[in-house]
Amino acid sequence: MKASPLDGEQALRLLATMWRIRLFEERVGQLKRADDVHGLVHLSTGQEGVAAAVCSQLRDDDPVYSGHRAHGHAIAKGAPLDRLMAELMGRDGGLCRGLGGSMHVVDVEHGFMGATGVVGGNIPIALGSALAARRLGRDSVAVVFFGDGAVQAGQFNETVNLATLWRLPLILVCENNGFAEFTPRSAHTNVERVSDVVAPYDVERDTVDGNDVVAVWDAFGRYLASARGGRGPFLLECLTYRLGGHYEGDPGKYREALAAADWQAKDPILRLQRHGIAQGWFAADVLPALESEAAEAVEQAVRFGRESPFPPVELIEAMVYADA
Amino acid sequence: MSAPKGVKELDRDRLVWMYTQMLRIREFEERVKRTFVEHPGVIRGHTHLGDGAEASIVGSIATLGPDDQFFATYRCHGYPIARGTDTKAMMAEIYGRKDGLCKGIGGSMHLADVSNGFLGTSGIVAAGIPHATGAAWAAQIRKRGQVVLCFFGDGASKQGAFSESLNIASLWKLPIVYVMENNGYNVHTRSEQEDANRAAGEDLSVKAKAFSMPGVTIDGLDPIAVYETVGAAVARARAGGGPTLVESVMYRLSAHGNLIAPPGVPLHYPEHEAIEKFGAPEEYEAALKGDPVPAFRGRLVADGTLSAEEAERIAGDVREEMQAAVTFGLASPFPDVETALEYVYA
Amino acid sequence: MAHELPYIAAIDEAITLEMQRDDTVLYFGQNMATTENEPYVDAFGKDRVRVTPISETAEIGMAVGAALAGFRPVVELYMAEFMLVAMDQVLNEAPRFRSMSGGQVKVPLVLKAGYGFTAGWAGQHTGTISSLFMGVPGLKVVVPSTAADAKGLMATAIRDDNPVVYLHHYLLTLEHGEVPDGEYLVPFGQAAIRREGGDVTIVATGWMVDRALGAAERLAAEGIQAEVIDPRTLAPLDTQTILESVDKTGRLVLVDQATRHASVASVIAGEVAEYGFSSLKAPIVQVTALDATIPYSEPLEAWVLPNEDKIVAAVQQVLGTAPVTA
Repeated sequence: MKASPLDGEQALRLLATMWRIRLFEERVGQLKRADDVHGLVHLSTGQEGVAAAVCSQLRDDDPVYSGHRAHGHAIAKGAPLDRLMAELMGRDGGLCRGLGGSMHVVDVEHGFMGATGVVGGNIPIALGSALAARRLGRDSVAVVFFGDGAVQAGQFNETVNLATLWRLPLILVCENNGFAEFTPRSAHTNVERVSDVVAPYDVERDTVDGNDVVAVWDAFGRYLASARGGRGPFLLECLTYRLGGHYEGDPGKYREALAAADWQAKDPILRLQRHGIAQGWFAADVLPALESEAAEAVEQAVRFGRESPFPPVELIEAMVYADA
Repeated sequence: MSAPKGVKELDRDRLVWMYTQMLRIREFEERVKRTFVEHPGVIRGHTHLGDGAEASIVGSIATLGPDDQFFATYRCHGYPIARGTDTKAMMAEIYGRKDGLCKGIGGSMHLADVSNGFLGTSGIVAAGIPHATGAAWAAQIRKRGQVVLCFFGDGASKQGAFSESLNIASLWKLPIVYVMENNGYNVHTRSEQEDANRAAGEDLSVKAKAFSMPGVTIDGLDPIAVYETVGAAVARARAGGGPTLVESVMYRLSAHGNLIAPPGVPLHYPEHEAIEKFGAPEEYEAALKGDPVPAFRGRLVADGTLSAEEAERIAGDVREEMQAAVTFGLASPFPDVETALEYVYA
Repeated sequence: MAHELPYIAAIDEAITLEMQRDDTVLYFGQNMATTENEPYVDAFGKDRVRVTPISETAEIGMAVGAALAGFRPVVELYMAEFMLVAMDQVLNEAPRFRSMSGGQVKVPLVLKAGYGFTAGWAGQHTGTISSLFMGVPGLKVVVPSTAADAKGLMATAIRDDNPVVYLHHYLLTLEHGEVPDGEYLVPFGQAAIRREGGDVTIVATGWMVDRALGAAERLAAEGIQAEVIDPRTLAPLDTQTILESVDKTGRLVLVDQATRHASVASVIAGEVAEYGFSSLKAPIVQVTALDATIPYSEPLEAWVLPNEDKIVAAVQQVLGTAPVTA
């Protein structure tokens, strides 16, 4: 498999995905305030570019893992909006029948193997998926998303050693927004670049602007082609910028931040749109439809979620153990 | 020879002292091993010997001042010996007796001698690394110029505890030196089977790059090389320059530990894994030829630091000392059973 | 004299007072001490108050090392489940060093962690895992249910020369209470009788204490007087007070937000069955969370947990006014 550069058709698909993520997250923020969605929710507003550029290049049989900020990754991997929304509302129609919630979203059908509430917790699990793929002689590739905070956790380093030793098809995608929860990276380590943390190991690595969809697409595409050819592991550090707080607060703050001039220059959606127009891939007038289609899909998802019943209590016990 | 900056010169007395400590460790470990044969049943559970590591142990401990501290692993006998801990109390501890260093409650893997800066030992691989790092934080707060030495094996460097601790130590510039004793094995596994760097033929000190920390690899069989490198790192730490990772390359001359066996099977020391498991007796033969204890003796006799007679006299004293340790241990009674409950809570 | 404080602030007050009193007390963990004008940093400086990366094994292990070296660290872990990342240090290191060294060392440290985040925080953040710590010799476990106890138990925890797991209930975070001024210590191993009564003994911890008191109010309207006991510490556990109460009432209902097996409820049930058998007029009834990973969906989350209704039903069962079912 060879990496292919982004073209107009793909760019439109990516934009559609990014709009879906952005509007979905905005709606979730509103629903959280209205208490339709309760509990801990972490929104990926502003970070849609990485999710879309990475996941759109993957197949359903490529397992993807994420951290607690997982909605965008799940959506980009193919999780249906309605079942995702229903999950956040705790309904039976949800991806996990209401049992998991925002931080424990799973969509096996599309290869979204799970989010996690424990920072770095999925990194060794993704390693296991990569090992399984190798053992089964497949060319599927395991991908795990995590933030820069996870890189200081022991499990990251344990995983890198083994992935390198065994040369597994694992792509580590770090969304480095310079913060872990409420703490800046400089308080966590004196190694500034995440990619330098794997410096002792023979791991192909790159650092890109995470809000430049074309750059992420290209870099990830190269690693993906290589991994399918049996090489690995890889580390792709995507420099991003997190709008708003660590977990969801006021959606109004997000709107404000999105509208700010300095953000408009960084916004992955706006940049890809500008790029596409400049490349002659599409005219500006096709773009509003992407946003409105996404908005409609999100509203449909909300309706679906609200109409879905709460799960029966018998489900709880039934889910504790797998049946013999 | 001139020592690096901040490192005290080794005069004759000091060199002879170093050789003596190496020999004391060797003889102590030999006597532990012999106990399985000469007094079966006396030692229960697990012991792990440091024969082969003497040069690295003594070269490192020799850099410490009276106020400094150190942490080790389940293979912990050598360090307190070099530091001056009473070998009678140590043997009694390994025999589980009342007069043991830890009153018979700890055993071989959990030695402690607080008066000598040896604050306690975990038997879990890498668990002592965060302990040492915390003690280094304490030293930093106290501002008395204390340094902590943290000893662990190459196997520990794959544990999350290793990377987490070194990252923090580097960030906080803690007064600690991490001494990774690379003897090429992690229990019964060879380093290249589990370590990506080793598999690539690299030194393990490259791991320090992940923490913006200086890393250096040295010949752990040369006590003076160890002393100078660790000494320079200790001086750096003491001056506030932060931590260093020192990879000390050596070979362990005994098997990982005594046989682990269910009741009914007598415990003993099997052959080294190179012979038993990996079919590489020539590797072991080569290591025997490179044995640091006779090598250092030979070097000191050859350059006139030590005469052959003195060397013999030292050997005699050491044999006597460790015989006394064994005798003491065997004669020491078992602790009163109530001791089991006495130290659960402070 | 006393003043009103929310539960979470009462804990901070204790930590602050202890850090003022004893400069060997340290306070560190993730997401703290990152800006110049944080109260702990301002008051005690960056030697004693530090932020760490996400490195629970190192954080807790360093606390052990600093404790061995004569300091008294308080580790801010935020959520009990994060301790699971570093369980070796919590169960196999901190509580065992004193014993293994033959008493040469002590390991005074406090692991401060929230628990019981039953507000949709879902499967990995919501458990009540106190039982994992309870049975470990050398480790102490405290669970304050009021602001005053939150303060008093934290002060005692810091002064205790042993490792202490200090679990503060998330849903009590903003509960206000009267908190004594200045130095205030609540001893370990001393249960509090929250309500007196002669008909049935109800033992509850953490957030369940108020649920038990609510149930007691409803039962009082039916003429049933319940005695509500809050153990406050799980290790050491004050079984004596419970036995004395059961001797008076003859009936025992145990309420625990943890799952049934190996919970403090089951431990107490075992103790009372053995030492208070002759006092019992009816079998002991336990009201615990069901044995499941806490589900995210709100009605399911509520369903698996103990609540007032279940406590009332349990009392009726133990008084023989309701059928007994497994």
